[in-house]
Amino acid sequence: MTPATNAARDEAARALGAIVGGQSIDWEHVLHRRSFLELDALARAEALVDDGTIRVLSGPFERLESPWLQPQDITPQSDDGVVIARGTIGGTAVVIASIEQEFQGGGIGEVSGAKITQALRLAAASSRQGIPVPAVLLLETGGVRLQEANLGLNAVAEICSALLELRALAPVIGVVAGSVGSFGGVSIATGLCTHVIITPEGRIGLNGAAVIEQEAGAEEFDSSDRSLIWAVVGGEQRRLTGLADTLVVDDAAELRDAVREAVAAGPASPGSHRSERLDVLDARLATLDPANPPEPRQLREMWGDTYGTPPAKPAAPPASSGAEPRPGVVHSRSSMQPSGRGRTWITALASGTTPRPVIGSVLRADTDGTTYLAVVPDPHNPFYRARQGQVGLTECAALARQFREIAVDDAHRAERRAIVAVVDLPSQAYGRIEEMAGLHQAIAAAVDATEAARVAGHPIVALVVGQALSGGFLAHGLQASQILALDDPGVVIHAMHRQAAAHITLRTVAQLDELGKTIPPLSYDIRVWATLGFCDSLLNVGSAESPTHDDVQTVAQAISGAVARARSGPADLSNRLESADARKNRKASRAVRDTLSRQWNKHSGQ
Amino acid sequence: MRTLHYQFPASRNPARRAHVGVVGSGDLEVLVEPGTTDGCGGAAAHAQVRVRTSVEGFDEVWQATLERFFARTPVLGNWELNDAGATPALVTLRMEQAAEATGSGDTPDSEEAS
Repeated sequence: MTPATNAARDEAARALGAIVGGQSIDWEHVLHRRSFLELDALARAEALVDDGTIRVLSGPFERLESPWLQPQDITPQSDDGVVIARGTIGGTAVVIASIEQEFQGGGIGEVSGAKITQALRLAAASSRQGIPVPAVLLLETGGVRLQEANLGLNAVAEICSALLELRALAPVIGVVAGSVGSFGGVSIATGLCTHVIITPEGRIGLNGAAVIEQEAGAEEFDSSDRSLIWAVVGGEQRRLTGLADTLVVDDAAELRDAVREAVAAGPASPGSHRSERLDVLDARLATLDPANPPEPRQLREMWGDTYGTPPAKPAAPPASSGAEPRPGVVHSRSSMQPSGRGRTWITALASGTTPRPVIGSVLRADTDGTTYLAVVPDPHNPFYRARQGQVGLTECAALARQFREIAVDDAHRAERRAIVAVVDLPSQAYGRIEEMAGLHQAIAAAVDATEAARVAGHPIVALVVGQALSGGFLAHGLQASQILALDDPGVVIHAMHRQAAAHITLRTVAQLDELGKTIPPLSYDIRVWATLGFCDSLLNVGSAESPTHDDVQTVAQAISGAVARARSGPADLSNRLESADARKNRKASRAVRDTLSRQWNKHSGQ
Repeated sequence: MRTLHYQFPASRNPARRAHVGVVGSGDLEVLVEPGTTDGCGGAAAHAQVRVRTSVEGFDEVWQATLERFFARTPVLGNWELNDAGATPALVTLRMEQAAEATGSGDTPDSEEAS
């Protein structure tokens, strides 16, 4: 055989899990592989910890099931589809959160989300007391469970915050073994991990192909094209573009070794996490021309397989001469209408100063002691899937940069300035280029920067003046210490647009609205959202669309109040479980918190 | 979703509680916990079963499937079945797995480990 065919043979053998050394291939190893993919959530957790050390917390007999499914005629699962377990890996005490992908597609609901959050927070508390407890997250999920929409969305924000709290003290290892993959809000958490382990069957992406096709058409993303999907979000691609750290075959022993190594490596140094490397993010985005995007394979060359080195400035992708620009660039389909509310409110609140564009779609206004940030529509956005005000790649990079800069600027001031996220976001950007480039990673950068500013002592207030949907709100707003919203029918906070949510949950829009009347997390009504426990104030204004002087005064006063509360309140998001509304509508989250705390240090089951 | 309650004559005490399965499409989870009294202080003579199923209109199939199971495997206790459209064969299989995991027939004082 020629060297070339040898190389091809060796590569194929490795892909099957054979050990290739010199001229010989150890096929025996392939025959002895034990599939990890075929294991359920508990068995996956068991496969990773040292034999005999697993102890399940808040297990099925605690019956911490979702309170929201049975009223929707959906059979609940006794552990709500997340296994939390303690054990040791290579002798180190760890906590594992393993998502059961067979139950509700691994969707994160109130209880399953709270379990992950509390496990991370307890690990952080132990770590602070001198016993670092690394976390291993087995992430197989479509993201937020739409049947628990707003509670799921908030749960993802809390998971991200708790993950970041632990990540500074002990490694948080994300494992995406397949087959659901890590999607939706949970992909953002994946982008925050210290170390990401993936198999070729694993996928990481913000928006699934089907959702992109539904929103933008098959010319944007053909969801029936399996090879395209894997080329864009598959494990090998993610590893070879530096969005994952370790690629292993589907073998329990190999995954165990990879996790053991990541646990032993300990926490990464501050500033080195992917979600902190804004230099790399900016440099990578600078190599992309949305009018003439690279093929997924070209990205491996352009970006390299580590996230540590910013790629050199383009190297514009080899344009086939005379090629038409992608059809979407000129006329990309979108169901979203650009709204002027973000621009209107940031301009009004900036009183006197004119907000300046950080980029065309991100506005910043600085007044005495307060900085306002808004994502706004930009019809000339080169990333054409973000022209209606969606949060896309460059919006996240710009937001993250602002939060980081503000935190640095104020590092030596007596009082750190308040940051107000003015929120009117139709959603995150749904696009193929976005997924290829890793929108989840860009949002992770924004989330990380926001949380870092909050923890550093900046009061962060979200002011929702229009739509606050899904990944858009996760990127800009949901990490705030205080959330304010205008009491106006045009203000909508949700995990997904009505139409799309109806489509995915196999309901009609009318059925969805009817359910929202009795199941608060499902409601599209802002007044119902305000009862979930994380609304700090609902503000009455005469006009949300064209605010009067009085309206602006009302909101400005509410912001001052929120800033004062944020300064005296906790730096984390724990207050979202303490409000009077949370005590009523987030009872299940509180029960999870209490049960897990109680069981954390027990040495045997009860 | 439908919630069904049954009881069946049973005699064997489970030594420990057991949990098997997942509420995934075409599957179910089964929880069994020892419950050794009849509620009035006497020894229980019946297994209590609660079924929650996403599929409506199969009450008689459940009745028949469970009756046959308990005739062969008369394990006492509180049984909870959370079902997402499993076939009768799979229901029986999961219940057998659960019954085995309870160690019914073992000495009652061998304590659970989980």
